[in-house]
Amino acid sequence: MTIQFLTISQLSDLLKNKKISYEELVDETFLLIKKYSSINSFITLNQKQALIDAKKLNVSNDQNSLTGIPIAQKDLFCTKGLKTTCGSKMLSNFVPPYDATVVSNLNSAGTICIGKTNMDEFAMGSSNETSFYGNVHNPWKEGFVPGGSSGGSAAAVAAGLVPAATGTDTGGSIRQPAALCGLTGIKPTYGRVSRWGMIAFASSLDQGGPICRNAEDCALLLDAMSGYDEKDTTSLKIDPTKINNNINEPLEHLNIGIVREFKQSDLSVDSQQLFSNTIKEFENLGAKISEISLPNIVQSVPTYYVVAPAECSSNLSRYDGVKYGYRSSNADDLESLYVNSRSEGFGEEVKRRILMGTYVLSSGYYDAYYKKAQQVRRLIKNDFGNAFKEVDVILTPTSPSQAFEFGSKGKKDPTELYLEDLYTISANLAGLPALSMPNGFINGLPVGVQLIGNYLDEEKILKLGHYFQKETDHHLKKPNLEGFA
Amino acid sequence: MDDKTVRTIFYLSRLKQDKDGSEKIKNDLKAILEMVNSLKEIDTDNIMPLHNPLEETSRVFEDTVSSDNEKSLFLENAPESDGDYFIVPKVVE
Amino acid sequence: MKWEAVIGLEAHVQLSTETKLFSRASTTFGDEANTNVNLVDCGLPGVLPTVNKNAFYKAVKFGLAIDASINKVSIFDRKNYFYPDLPKGYQITQMEKPILEGGSIEINIDGLKRKINITRAHLEEDAGKSIHEGFKGTGIDLNRSGTPLLEIVSEPELRSSQEAVAYMKELHKIVTFLDVSDGEMSQGSLRCDANVSIRQKGETELGTRTEIKNINSFKFIEKAIEYEIKRQIAVLESKEKVEQETRLYDSIKNETRPMRSKEFANDYRYFPEPDLLPVVITDKEINDIKKHFPEMPKEKSIRYVQEFGISESDSSIISNSKNLSNFFEDCIKIVNDKVLLAKILVGDISSLLNKDAKEITDTNFTPENITQLINLISDGTISGKIAKDVLDQIRLKNIEPYEYIKEKGLTQISDEDAIERIILEILAKNPEQVEAYNNGKDKLFGFFVGQVMKATQGKANPKSVNLILKKALSNKHT
Repeated sequence: MTIQFLTISQLSDLLKNKKISYEELVDETFLLIKKYSSINSFITLNQKQALIDAKKLNVSNDQNSLTGIPIAQKDLFCTKGLKTTCGSKMLSNFVPPYDATVVSNLNSAGTICIGKTNMDEFAMGSSNETSFYGNVHNPWKEGFVPGGSSGGSAAAVAAGLVPAATGTDTGGSIRQPAALCGLTGIKPTYGRVSRWGMIAFASSLDQGGPICRNAEDCALLLDAMSGYDEKDTTSLKIDPTKINNNINEPLEHLNIGIVREFKQSDLSVDSQQLFSNTIKEFENLGAKISEISLPNIVQSVPTYYVVAPAECSSNLSRYDGVKYGYRSSNADDLESLYVNSRSEGFGEEVKRRILMGTYVLSSGYYDAYYKKAQQVRRLIKNDFGNAFKEVDVILTPTSPSQAFEFGSKGKKDPTELYLEDLYTISANLAGLPALSMPNGFINGLPVGVQLIGNYLDEEKILKLGHYFQKETDHHLKKPNLEGFA
Repeated sequence: MDDKTVRTIFYLSRLKQDKDGSEKIKNDLKAILEMVNSLKEIDTDNIMPLHNPLEETSRVFEDTVSSDNEKSLFLENAPESDGDYFIVPKVVE
Repeated sequence: MKWEAVIGLEAHVQLSTETKLFSRASTTFGDEANTNVNLVDCGLPGVLPTVNKNAFYKAVKFGLAIDASINKVSIFDRKNYFYPDLPKGYQITQMEKPILEGGSIEINIDGLKRKINITRAHLEEDAGKSIHEGFKGTGIDLNRSGTPLLEIVSEPELRSSQEAVAYMKELHKIVTFLDVSDGEMSQGSLRCDANVSIRQKGETELGTRTEIKNINSFKFIEKAIEYEIKRQIAVLESKEKVEQETRLYDSIKNETRPMRSKEFANDYRYFPEPDLLPVVITDKEINDIKKHFPEMPKEKSIRYVQEFGISESDSSIISNSKNLSNFFEDCIKIVNDKVLLAKILVGDISSLLNKDAKEITDTNFTPENITQLINLISDGTISGKIAKDVLDQIRLKNIEPYEYIKEKGLTQISDEDAIERIILEILAKNPEQVEAYNNGKDKLFGFFVGQVMKATQGKANPKSVNLILKKALSNKHT
C-alpha cells in the first residue's frame, strides 16, 4: 500500500482505521520526498520535528479530519525555529522566532509540517524559475515549469509526496501552478486568511490558501487556515469557513458568467476546445451560462504591474543587512552595506520589480502611474460588482497555456511571463475569491479552469468545483514520474 | 527613461547599477512601462483610488503592554551585534 | 536694508502612551537597549502594524485644546527612506489626511499677545536611536522605534528666536497639562525642527529657507535660530544666495552647519499604508474626550485667585507649570496659610529650583514637608529667616522641618521680655550708634536689628523686635 497520491480524506481514513500509524505515514512521506528529490520541490525538510509531532499524536485523543495529515508549507510562511527563505539568498539564513497564523492554525488542527517548499523568489514569478534554490520541475514533464510562485507546493502535491500544501497568491500564484500541475487551489477573499507571518510581497493583494488534489480537501484546509486574526488589521472580523461539512449539500441552480472581453483568440486552439468542453460540462450540471462584460478587465495586467511592484518595493526595504538576513562582506560604510547586501542578496526579477515600484511611486510619476493604477483598480472592482448582479460565478481559463519549458519565456522580455497572469490577476485586484481546478490535458500536460466568486463566496465556488469533480475525472489523473525516480 | 532617472531609482532602491546589466535593466523597465502605458487611455475622472479591496475601516487596540523583553531573540538573528545593540558601519551625519 | 526673519516650527511631541503606536511593546524611557522591542518594532519579515487607540485620543485632546479641526477619518501613509534605526525602511506617518488641521497657539511676549496658526498635526512612529560613540561602528537601539509622535507644524508666522521659544514653551505647557506628553525634553519627549528664512521687511514672498533639525532644548532653539538668522543675513548682505539645505545645530560651537550633502535628494515616495485601514474617530469619542478635559492653566489661574485668595501674579506663575500646580493643589488640602504657600512657592522655592535646574518633582520638597514648614511660619514658631535655612536643609538633606527645628532649637523667640533684655544690652554696647541714630541717621535702625538677630541666631521674632527696638530707641532719646 502506498500513500503516494492519496487525498487528505483517504489518508485520514487509513489513520482512523489504524491501517497506518502517524509515524509510519511521516516516515513514508520522507522516503517519497527523498526518492523524488530531483523535482526540487522542497528547500527545507522538517524531519526530526515531524516525527516528534507524529509520536505525540499517538498519545493524544485528537481525531479530526486533519489529525496527522502531512502537509508542506510554502517557504513564505514563517515557521518558528525552521528556516524560512522565501526562495531568496537574502533570507537563506533566516530562522523566524515565531509562527505565521496560518502555520499555527494548521498545527492546531493536527497537521504535521513536513517541510518548506520551493518558490519564486519573494513570490515574484509565474514559473518557479527565479528561486535561489533552483528551478522546480513540473512532475508531469521533466524540464517543464510547474508554474509559480507556489511552484514547489504544487509540485509536491502533484507528485503525490504530500496530499496538500499551502501557497500564497498575489496575482495567481496558487491558481496558476495548481492549473499547470493538475491540482485544485483556491485564493480566498482578501482578508479571509491572516497575513501575520506571511512574508509580504504586495500587501493589498497577497492571500494565503491551499493547494490540494480536489475541492473537498481545499475546503478542509481552508476551514483550518481561515478566520479573524487581530494581529492583522486587514483580516476580516469573521469566523473561519465551515465549508467541508456542507460540501455535499445540494447545489442551487447557478448562473455562470463568461467574460466577453477575454477573447477566445488569447488561447491556443486546444485550450479553446477544453474551455468549451468545460462550459458544456457545467451546463450538464444544470448551470445557466451567460455572457457578462468586464469592460476594464484587459487593464488588469497593467494595473497589477504598477501596484504590485510599488508595494513590494516598499515591503522589501526592510532587507538591509542590519537586523537579519544576508549582509555583504563588502560593507565598510553604510551605503556599501545597503547597496551590496541588497544587490548580492536579491535576484534579477526581484530587483526589476523593486526598481519598477520605486519609479512608479517617485515624485513626478506617482499620479500618472500609482494613483492612476489604483483608480483603474476601482473600475475593475466596480465591473465585477455589476457582473455579480447578473451571475453567481464567473468562469475563465486559469492560464493562457499549459506548462512550458524552462527558459522558454521571459528571458528577452519579462512581460512575456507577466501575461501568464492574464486571467488570474483581476481577482487579486478586486479581492475576490477564486478557485482553479483541472479541466483537461494538452500534450499530456494539465490545464485548469477558474471559478471567480463574489466576496466571501468560497463555499459557492468550492461546492461547484466539488460537483464538477464528481462528474469529471481530470483531477484523478496522476503523472508518470519515471524521469524523476 | 533618461540616465539620470535610472541612476536615481537605483539609488532610492539602494541597488547597484553595474555597467553590464545597465542596458538590460533599462530595456526591461522600458518594456514594462510600455505595457502599463495603456492605463493612460482609461478615463478615471472623479474615481477614488482603491487602496484596500474590501474598504473596511481600522480596528484599534487598547494601550496595554503585552510583549516581553525578547532582546536575545532578535540579536541572535542579527548579522552583527554585540549582544546589546545591532551594529552597522559608522554613520556620519 | 531692513531684514525680517520668517520662522516655522515642526515640533515632534512624544505621546505619553503606555505602548507604541503600532505595537504593544512598552514605551518606557531609559530601559536597557533593545528590551522594549517586539517583532513588529524590529520590522521582522511577515509582521504587521496594529493601531493604538490611546494615541488617537491624545491627538484629539490636543486638537481640542488648540481649536483644530479633527479629521474623523484619517489615513496612514508610508514615508520611504533608508536609515539603520528605521527597521522597516519606511516610517508609517500621515501625509494626505492627518488627524488634525488648523488651530492656533497663543504666545505672550512682554505682555504682547500673538496668535500663531497651526497648519496641521499628524501621528507618526518614532525611529530607533543610532549611537555613534563607543562602538566599532554605530550601535542601533530600537527601544524608541515605534513610539507615537504627534508632529505639529506651525505656519511660518514666527518672527524671532524669542517668539520661537515662547511658542515651544506654550506648546510644552499645553501638552503637559493635557497629559498628552510628559514634555521631558532631556528624554527627547519634545524636539523641533526649525525652518528659517530671511526677507526684506515689507516683502510678502518667502526667502529661501533652511531647516535646522532636531533641536531638543529651549536654550538651543533660541541660540540655533539666532545664529541662523545672523548667518543668512550675512550671506544676503554679501549679495550671495542662501542655499536651501538641512542643517544641524552644534551646541558646543554654537553654530549651525549643513548636513552631509547627498547627490540625490530624498524622494520619500509617500503612498497609503496598505497594511492599515482608515481610522475613524466618532463624535461620541470626541465628546467623551471633551467631557474629561483637564483644567487648563487659564482656568486654574482664575480659580486659585477666587477660591484661595492668592495674588494674581502668584496664581499666574503657579498655574502655568503642571508640576507647580500639582504640588500647590496637594499642599492646599493641608496648609493653613494659602497666600503664604503661594508666595513661598513662587519666591524662595522657585529660586532654588532654578538654581539647581530641577523640576519640583525631582527634589526633596514634598507637599508634606513644605506644608509643615509653612504652618510653622504662619503660627509664629519660626521666623522667616529661619524658614529660609530650613528650606535649604530640606533641599540638601531631606530633613523633616518640625524635628529639625526641635533638634537645633530654632524656635522663634517671641517672648517680649527676653527680646527687650537683648535689645537693651545691645543699645548699651553701642552708645555712639544710638546717638547717631537719634541725631537723624535712620539707617542705623537696620544695624541694631542685625545685631539683635546675630545675638539671637536669627530666632527673634522680627515684628516684635521692630516694635520693641523702636520703643527702646525713642526712650533713649531723651
